Amino acid sequence: MKKVRTAIKNIFKALRNGEFLLRIRADKYYLHIMYLFLLMWLSILLSLRVDKTLATAGRNKAAIEDLRIRHSQKEAELVKLQSASEIERRLDRMGSNVAMPKEPAKIIKRK
Amino acid sequence: MPKRNEITDKIENRDRIHVVMFFLSIVFFLVGVLIMIQIVRIQTGYQVDDRVVDLFRTTVSKHTDNPVRGRILATDGRPMAISAPLYDIHMDCTVRKQEFIDKDNSEGEAKWREKAAELSRCLSREFRDRSADDYLKAILNGREKGNRYLKIRNNVELSVLNRLKTYPLFNENTNKGGMIVERHDERIYPYDSLARRVIGYVKENNRIGLEHSFDHELHGREGFEWRRVTDKKTWIRDLDSASVSVKDGNDIRTTLNVDFQEIADKALRAQIQADEEVRAGICIIMEAESGAIRAMVNLSRGDTPQTVLWERDNLVLREVGEQGSVMKTVTLVSLVEDGYVKTLEQTLPTNNGFVPGGYNQDVHILDYQRETGRRDITVMHGFEISSNYVFTWLAENYYGKKPQEMFDHIYSYRLGEAFDFDIQGMGTPVVNRPGTPGWSRTTLGTTAYGYGLSVTPLHIATFYNGIANKGRMMKPYLVESVEKDGKVLKSFKPSVLNSSICSPATADTVTRALRAVVNEGTATRLKNAKLPVAGKTGTARVVLSPEERGGSKDAYSDAYGRKKYQGTFVGFFPADKPKYTILVTVYSYPSHKNFYGGTKPAMAVREIVDKIYAIDPEWRPQMSPVAAVPEMKETKK
Repeated sequence: MKKVRTAIKNIFKALRNGEFLLRIRADKYYLHIMYLFLLMWLSILLSLRVDKTLATAGRNKAAIEDLRIRHSQKEAELVKLQSASEIERRLDRMGSNVAMPKEPAKIIKRK
Repeated sequence: MPKRNEITDKIENRDRIHVVMFFLSIVFFLVGVLIMIQIVRIQTGYQVDDRVVDLFRTTVSKHTDNPVRGRILATDGRPMAISAPLYDIHMDCTVRKQEFIDKDNSEGEAKWREKAAELSRCLSREFRDRSADDYLKAILNGREKGNRYLKIRNNVELSVLNRLKTYPLFNENTNKGGMIVERHDERIYPYDSLARRVIGYVKENNRIGLEHSFDHELHGREGFEWRRVTDKKTWIRDLDSASVSVKDGNDIRTTLNVDFQEIADKALRAQIQADEEVRAGICIIMEAESGAIRAMVNLSRGDTPQTVLWERDNLVLREVGEQGSVMKTVTLVSLVEDGYVKTLEQTLPTNNGFVPGGYNQDVHILDYQRETGRRDITVMHGFEISSNYVFTWLAENYYGKKPQEMFDHIYSYRLGEAFDFDIQGMGTPVVNRPGTPGWSRTTLGTTAYGYGLSVTPLHIATFYNGIANKGRMMKPYLVESVEKDGKVLKSFKPSVLNSSICSPATADTVTRALRAVVNEGTATRLKNAKLPVAGKTGTARVVLSPEERGGSKDAYSDAYGRKKYQGTFVGFFPADKPKYTILVTVYSYPSHKNFYGGTKPAMAVREIVDKIYAIDPEWRPQMSPVAAVPEMKETKK
């Protein structure tokens, strides 16, 4: 019991005096400890970067989906406008005399 | 022997261990008692703090991705069916209400109401369906009554949704602004009713047309992924969990030509729209060489004449019926192919229009005898005027003793069975051949001129296409490829139903007869079409249902003597080098009027042929310039 108390007392004393690592001869494992810290730092950094990349990917995916929807809706509108009956209706509304051709277009063949 | 001091040390050490063990057991006991007390407390109504629940709540959720349904394209790539989502907008009117009450924050509530008033003005401007006051009244009323799902607007497009998200309240998150957005995928048909029965539709689990037949290609495959929340409260994909990536549906490229479809639709409407006695009208345009269907129109009125024409049912595929005189061509091909009719100028006696064996007299032959003074008639003239007598006489005379021979031909023309087609539900023909219950003494003769044999319009068009193709009968088809992002995954080539229904010489002879029908016979309305047409008219009475008959004993007329007709023109153009086969049929309600194949159907065909001539690159004339034509160069950007 006395030894335990002494040991705990020594640990606190060493910590207070900033000698704890020296007392346990941590300098022997300094490189290992630094390497461990590096690995932990890298792990956290990469994890955050992955999260950030996935968040960006998610936003981009949503943007692409938005564009796809806009494209589909715009395409449908344009196709509707392109139909012959719609063109005729609009021309008629404008009072135009332009109508569907009655004869096929002639092709001028180069000599 | 140990010394006394050593023994004393050992005893002291043992006592120390006992003391430590004693204290440890006391600690464990106390911890155990505390755990028991805690368990009893939790079981008897302990309320967990919400903040604690939030801390322990799982931040991973399953997200299902629905595939985008593939598009249905016309042959030139123009989309005929596209999928795009629409959004239903609702509002939770109770947001922050409790928060303001709890904190006694009347200023916050007033501010919220101000924003709601501004939102109401924006909504009124956006949708123009209600005044700003009405919107505000609905929102505040909902807030009073605790409405958490007030409908704002259904089926909103993405562009409108994005504008809504900029309005006050709606530009805040759901917990503060109350905007609830629900997405649902919708099918858009840019050409509205055009070819709708061919393209089909998707309504929940009900699908028809190509949407049904090619659903396995169009649908795609659902996917899912697990998502988790980051420290910045963003949902991202959880890479530690399994996921299945979504696979969007493939596109279907059809053989349909949108321009032809529009021309046919318009021409048919022009003929039948105003006549309320017309029940329906159909049109097929098929490419002779390949069997590719370029247009398929199915317009019908529904149960009452007042209803508008719409693509309600695929009559081209499903309407099995007696086709009338267009079947005379079937008989003629058989007779010529078998060598019974060696030349179209071959004659037969007129016999005052009587064929022995229980047939009705053909009174048109009496007119012919009176007008010409002749007692014989050529096969050609009989075909031109579509004489039932001539074809009954020919069938009885040449196939009377061996009727099976004629029916063998009918089967070889694939008129006796439903064949595989890109849209399901093709009607099965009914053939009253020898040995079947429908066979009688007069069946052979009536079959020769178009009664007794029931087929679909597609069967007839396919047969005429075989003649246009010099005896090679192509299988009609509607889908030419399955594509993904413009890349062809599967390609469907033209296929042959019967490589030789007749010899090229027979096809030429019959084409001459069909040409004569247009020039001198029952289809003279097509005589001056911009391209030479060869074809045959047919007018058939349709058997009435018992309800339609209303007590009449005649299967073909009701109690008022009204009859149902179907008038058909089927042929191909240009007659000398056929490129397209065309069929137009008009169906009537019970009527006192006749609906001949040479009238409305022929007029519709005339309009279609003239318009196709004007737009199809095939018939663009080439001109030689008298001067040098400058070279066309691309404009540099």
